[in-house]
Amino acid sequence: MSDRAADAAGLGRPRAAAFMAPALLLITAFLVVPALWTLVLGATNYRLTGLAAANPQFVGTGNITEALSDPGFGWSLWLTLLFVLGSAIFGQSLAGLSLAWSLRSAPKVVKAVVETLVLMAWILPSSVVAFLWVAYLSRHGGTLNAILQTPGTDWLIQHPMASIIVFNIWRGTAFSMLLFSAALSAVPPSQMESARLVGAGTLAQLRDVVFPHIRGHVLTNTLLISLWTFNDFTPYLLTAGGPNHATEILPVFIYNRALYGGELGYGSAISFLMLIINLVIALFYVRLLRERR
Amino acid sequence: MSPQAFLRRVGFVLFLAVVTAFWALPMLWLVTAPFDAHPGLTVRWPEWTLDNFRRLSESPYAFSSLRNSVLLAGGAMILVTVFGALAAYALSRVHVPGRGAILYGMLLLSSIVTGTAAMVPIFQLMFTLGLIDDRTGVILVLTGGLLPAAIFVLKDFMDATPRSYEESARVFGASPTQVLRHVVLPIARPGLATIAVWALVNAWGDFLTAYILLRDPTKTPAGVVMYTFYSEGGQANLPLISAFSVLYALPVVVLYIFVSRRYGFRFHGGIKS
Amino acid sequence: MGEIRIEGLTKVYSGNVTALDRLDLTINDGEFFALLGPSGCGKTTLLRTIAGLEVATSGRIHIGERDVTKMSPGDRDVAMVFQDYALFPHMTVSDNIAYPLRIRKVDQASRAQTAARVGAGLGLNGLLERRPGELSGGQQQRVALARAMACEPSAFLFDEPLSNLDARLRLEARTFLKGLQHQLGVTTVFVTHDQAEALAMADRIAVMEAGRLRQLGTPAEIFHRPIDTFVANFIGSAPMTMLDADLVRGRLYVAGTTIEQEVAVRWSGPDPSDGPVVLGIRPEYVRVGAFGPMTVQATIRIVENLGATVLLTAETASGDRLQALVPDGTQPAVGAQVELSPVAERVLLYDEEGHLMTPATQAAPAPA
Repeated sequence: MSDRAADAAGLGRPRAAAFMAPALLLITAFLVVPALWTLVLGATNYRLTGLAAANPQFVGTGNITEALSDPGFGWSLWLTLLFVLGSAIFGQSLAGLSLAWSLRSAPKVVKAVVETLVLMAWILPSSVVAFLWVAYLSRHGGTLNAILQTPGTDWLIQHPMASIIVFNIWRGTAFSMLLFSAALSAVPPSQMESARLVGAGTLAQLRDVVFPHIRGHVLTNTLLISLWTFNDFTPYLLTAGGPNHATEILPVFIYNRALYGGELGYGSAISFLMLIINLVIALFYVRLLRERR
Repeated sequence: MSPQAFLRRVGFVLFLAVVTAFWALPMLWLVTAPFDAHPGLTVRWPEWTLDNFRRLSESPYAFSSLRNSVLLAGGAMILVTVFGALAAYALSRVHVPGRGAILYGMLLLSSIVTGTAAMVPIFQLMFTLGLIDDRTGVILVLTGGLLPAAIFVLKDFMDATPRSYEESARVFGASPTQVLRHVVLPIARPGLATIAVWALVNAWGDFLTAYILLRDPTKTPAGVVMYTFYSEGGQANLPLISAFSVLYALPVVVLYIFVSRRYGFRFHGGIKS
Repeated sequence: MGEIRIEGLTKVYSGNVTALDRLDLTINDGEFFALLGPSGCGKTTLLRTIAGLEVATSGRIHIGERDVTKMSPGDRDVAMVFQDYALFPHMTVSDNIAYPLRIRKVDQASRAQTAARVGAGLGLNGLLERRPGELSGGQQQRVALARAMACEPSAFLFDEPLSNLDARLRLEARTFLKGLQHQLGVTTVFVTHDQAEALAMADRIAVMEAGRLRQLGTPAEIFHRPIDTFVANFIGSAPMTMLDADLVRGRLYVAGTTIEQEVAVRWSGPDPSDGPVVLGIRPEYVRVGAFGPMTVQATIRIVENLGATVLLTAETASGDRLQALVPDGTQPAVGAQVELSPVAERVLLYDEEGHLMTPATQAAPAPA
C-alpha cells in the first residue's frame, strides 16, 4: 500500500520541505535557471567584449536562424551524430554487452582484471586519460604505431573522427558493462537452461531469452550514454576540435564560438538548440520505453 | 573436446586477450613513464628513478593544484551527500504531491544541462554573481549538476529500507531528529558512502567547469593545470606530465580499490553521469 | 488501566479509500485480543491508528483513562512489534532491547542491566552482544518482544507476529506468546489473517471486513456461530460447506429433490418467513453413515490425508459438494457410495442476505 504511512518518520510537511530546500535551491540555481537563461541569452547579440558586451540587443530568433544556416553548425551537428552513433549507440553498447556476456563465464581472476581495467578507463580524470591517448596515438613513438608497425602515422590528424570515437568507446564502455551485467544476472537461469536444453546456440539464447528480459535496460542504457556522449567535452582535450574543425562536435563548437570566440549570444542559441535535441532524444526513448512495457 | 568447442574456446580466449590489450595498452604509459629517467611517448621498460617527482615539486602550481582539487572535490562531495541525503529522505518518506514528476524532471535536466549545453549561461550566471575565479562558485556548480542523480539513487536506496525501522523508533518515543540520528543514518551508510565516492570521483575528474570559471592559476585544480602543462609552447613536458598524472590519478584508483573491497562495485542506478 | 476504547473511528486515505468506517470497539484490560480478517480489511490500519502511526480521520481512541487520539506515537505508552520485527541491524541485541530506555535518557549501565534482565526472561542470554542479522527468526522475534517489554507499556500491539516464522516454529511461538501474555497480563492486541492463530491465541476476536467489524466474540462463539456467511467462510481450517435450501413452514428442504430429508428446527422467536436459505455445514461435524435427522447420499470424489484426520470431498446426485472431516482409518475409498450425516445441532442457517438465522439454543456447544 503506497498510500499507507504517507509520513513514516513523522517528519511532517514543514520539516520535509526544510530537508529538501537546500538541494532544490542549488538545482534551481545551477540547472533550471541556466536552462532558462539559455533561452534569454540566445535571443540577444551578447558578446564577451566590445560594444555588444555593454549593451546587448534583442535579436529574437536571429541567432537561431543564423545557426541553422551556418554551415559550421550543420557540419558540427553531423560530426556529433557520427560521434554518438559510432561511439555510444554501437560502440559502447555492443562492447558493454559482449563484455558483460563473456565475463560471466570467464575465470574469476580474468573477470576481475578486465573489469578493473574497463572501470579504470571510466573513472580516471579526463585530463589524464586524454593525455594517455595523446601519447598512445602520437606520431613519433606512440605505442599504437609501434604495435601496428605503422611508424609516422598521425592518428589524430589523419583519422581524427575515428580516433575520438575509439577513444570514447574505451572511456565509457564501463557503464554499459555494469548495467548489462546487472541486467544479465536478473535473467532467470532456468530460462537460459531450458533454452540450452532445446539446443539454442548463443545467438538464439541472446535473441529469445536474454533480449526480452533486458530490453528495458538496453533502452535506458542507450538513452543515458547517448545523452552523455552528445554532451561530452573530453574530445576537446585530444584534438581541440581540429584539425581544421574535423572533430568539432557541438560541445566543442559551442566552446570555440562562445567562450573562446566571445560570441555569447550565438553560443547560447546553439546551446538552446542542443537542449532541444537533448530533450527530443530523451522523449523519444521515454516513449519507446513506455510502449515496450 | 569437439573441434567446434575447441574453436569456440580459442575464440573466447582471443576475444578476452584483445579486450584486455585494448583497455590496458593506453594505460601502460601511466605506469612506466613517471618512473623513467627519460620518459618518452613510447611505453618501454623504465630506467627507474623518482627524479620526475622531485622536478614536479619545483613546479609552482603542481601541488597547489592538487590541493585545489581536494578542496573542490571535497566540498562538492560534502554538499552533494548531505543535501542529497536530506532531500532523498524527505522525498522517500513524506508524500509530496507530484514527486515522481519532480524526480524524473530533475534527472532529465541533469543529464541534459550539465556539461556543455549550459556552459554559456553558467558562465554568465557566475559572472553576474561575481563568482568567476572563485572556488565556491565551482563547488556550487558541480554540486548542482551532481545533486539530481544523487537524490535519485539515494531515494531508491531509502525506499528499499523498511519504514518499520523508523516507525518502531517512533512508537518508542524517538523524535524525528533522533530517528534520523539513531536509525536512518546508520542504516543508510553504505548508500551514502557510494554517493560520496561517486560525487568525489566526478568532481575530482572535472575539467570543464573549473576551466571555464577559474582564471587565477593558484586556484585551478589538477585537471586544468595538467592541461596547461602539455599545451605550453606546443611541446609537452613529459617528465612533469607523467609524474603529475600519477599523483592526480592515484586518489581515484585508491578509492576504487577501497570501494570495491568494502562494498563490492555494485551497480546503483546511474553511478556516473 | 490498559483498557483500549475506540469510538466511531474512521480513517480515510487520500484518494477516498475508507480503511476504517465508524468503528466502535472496547478491548478489556489484560485481554489478548485478535484483529482478524482478509488482507485489506483494515485490521492493520486499526492497529497502526492505535499506535499513532496513522492519524484518525474522525473518532476517538482512549487507552486507560487517557484520550490518545491526538497524541504522537511515543506518548501513548504502547509498544509495537512489527511484522518484520524492525530490529535495528547496526545495534547489538542488548542495544536493541534497551533502545526505548535510551530514548527516555536512562543511563547506559541501567540500560544494559534491564536488557540483560528482560533478555534472560526470554531465553536470550548469550545472544546479547550479537547483531540481529546473526539470529534465527525465532530469536529475532524474542528480541523484538524483549524490546517491547523493556518499556513496560500499558498495551502491546503485534502486527502479524507469527507470519515471518516457518510453519513448525510458528506453532511453538504461538504457545510461547500465549503463555507470555498470560504471565504479563498486559492488554495485547494482535493482527492476523490466519484464523487458526486467532482462535488459538486470543481471548476475544474481532473479525473485520472492509473497514467494519463483522463479528466480535470469543473464539468459541466465532467458530460455532459465525454471524454471517462471510465470517463462516473465513473461520475454520476446512471451509464450511454452503448448500442452498428452502424453508417451508419451519421445515427445511435441502438441495431440491436430492436431500428430501426434512429437519425440524426449533425457533426461539417467531417463525421466520418461508423462502430460500443457505445451509452451513462444518466438515468437522459431518459423520459417515446414517445418523440423526439429516442424511445425504453422496459419492466420495477426493480423499485428503491430513495426518490424524482425513478430509473427504463428496458429491451429491444433484452435483453439490459436501466435505467431511473424519478420523484417520475410517475413511471410505474414492468412488464409494456413502451416506453422510451432518450433526443437526451444528448446522447453521443463513438467510438470503447471509445473516445467521439459527437461534442461540440450536447451536450451543455440546459434547461431541
